[in-house]
Amino acid sequence: MKDILILGIETSCDETAASVVKNGRHILSNVINSQVQIHAQFGGVVPEVASRQHIENIALVVDQAFADAGLEYQDIDAVAVTNEPGLVGALLVGLSFAKGLAWSLQRPLLAVNHLHGHIYANMLEHEDIKFPAVCLVVSGGHTSLLLMQDINHYQVLGATRDDAAGEAFDKVARFLGLGYPGGPAIQKAAQEGQAGKMKLPRVFLDRQDYEFSFSGLKTATMNMKKKLEKAGELQVCDLAAEFQQALIEVLVEKSLQAASRYGVESILMAGGVAANQELRSLMEQRTESRKIKVFCPSLSLCTDNAAMIAGMGYQQFIRNCYASLRLNAYPSLSSL
Amino acid sequence: MQILIYNENEMERLGEKIARVLDDNDLVYLKGELGAGKTTLVRGIARAKGYQGRVTSPTFALMNVYLMENMQINHFDFYRLNPNDIYDLGVEDYLERQGLSLIEWPQAGAGILPPEALLVDISLIDDDYERERRVSIKAQGSQYQRKIEELQRLC
Repeated sequence: MKDILILGIETSCDETAASVVKNGRHILSNVINSQVQIHAQFGGVVPEVASRQHIENIALVVDQAFADAGLEYQDIDAVAVTNEPGLVGALLVGLSFAKGLAWSLQRPLLAVNHLHGHIYANMLEHEDIKFPAVCLVVSGGHTSLLLMQDINHYQVLGATRDDAAGEAFDKVARFLGLGYPGGPAIQKAAQEGQAGKMKLPRVFLDRQDYEFSFSGLKTATMNMKKKLEKAGELQVCDLAAEFQQALIEVLVEKSLQAASRYGVESILMAGGVAANQELRSLMEQRTESRKIKVFCPSLSLCTDNAAMIAGMGYQQFIRNCYASLRLNAYPSLSSL
Repeated sequence: MQILIYNENEMERLGEKIARVLDDNDLVYLKGELGAGKTTLVRGIARAKGYQGRVTSPTFALMNVYLMENMQINHFDFYRLNPNDIYDLGVEDYLERQGLSLIEWPQAGAGILPPEALLVDISLIDDDYERERRVSIKAQGSQYQRKIEELQRLC
């Protein structure tokens, strides 16, 4: 059978990324041009800056993806691109570029949901995932628990009622003066501190469903900071550690409850927050004694990248699910 | 007008009351620090307008749209932005089109966003998250002044 080569393009947030993936599994190139340094001074992604940077980067990044793969533009079979969800101005840069490329090369255009891409990142590295599986999607904009029949079919078991986990990390990090991005900043501070010196709530842990809420935890953390500050007893690292622990315990326990209720043998993790070391190790620890295997992408594939987009695009390509050149970009979720 | 709100449930109820004085193309600005209860208030408004889906913080996506049969609510969050960014988002397009627009952290849009609006400011008491919130509601523009008077009769 002929190899299928897909070019993936991803510009939904602050990374301009392009990648060529063979047969939905083998990464031939994976180029990521991050704007994190630029955005750090603003304390978060600034859409105007993001769009402008994407425009400057996109052609170079795509060129580099072809060069790294040792391929010519004509060699690819289709162009896959993220069209939702994300910042519209940012998404449109990648989308317009992908459309132009698909049209000029006379190749199909494939539309990929960014979060579906994150989930697919697991398929790029693991061959022993058993479906059905439970998947925990945790990122800056989203927190949901899915029951997946296979990589293309899933149902949402629950999601956050207010803030996403990554958003809580970012806001608490900013409040504690730890910087941006919040996930790595809190993780680093937490390593120097100790959880349990004060108690923050494990929100919704006692509920028998798969809903999450992190706004209350964020508020409780801020309140705790103000109280400790007034008493002159604030140890930022201890507070960061307790916040992180409170958040990940809920993520892990809910995932386990879902896994046991639906009798699955695999738990997948996806999204930027899945890069959190404490989350990964607690999940491993808690599944050790059970017949459940935990899968997460390696760190470089947890954060935004285009290999996951090319990979998910392959699934659509082999099913002849092509997008029209009138494809639009959408900021919020339509399916997850 | 000023109201004291003692818990999340009351904040949603207040949102429901505010919703009763809001019409299709109205504009509401929501101020208040992180964790004050802005999104909770928006949830109350959206529920009263008949939206059953999730009402979550739009900080990451900057905007959520809640579509209903006969109206739509545009829920913005400018927490991460500064005034230069607002142009890039095409916010004006949304404000000119149909829909009730609720904007968290409108400070970033000062000078760009229309001045006429209902302004809701939620503040902590004594800097303590565990205590009640003081919600102050003001009208900017005569159209909204009438709405405040109506709201005072409801509260």
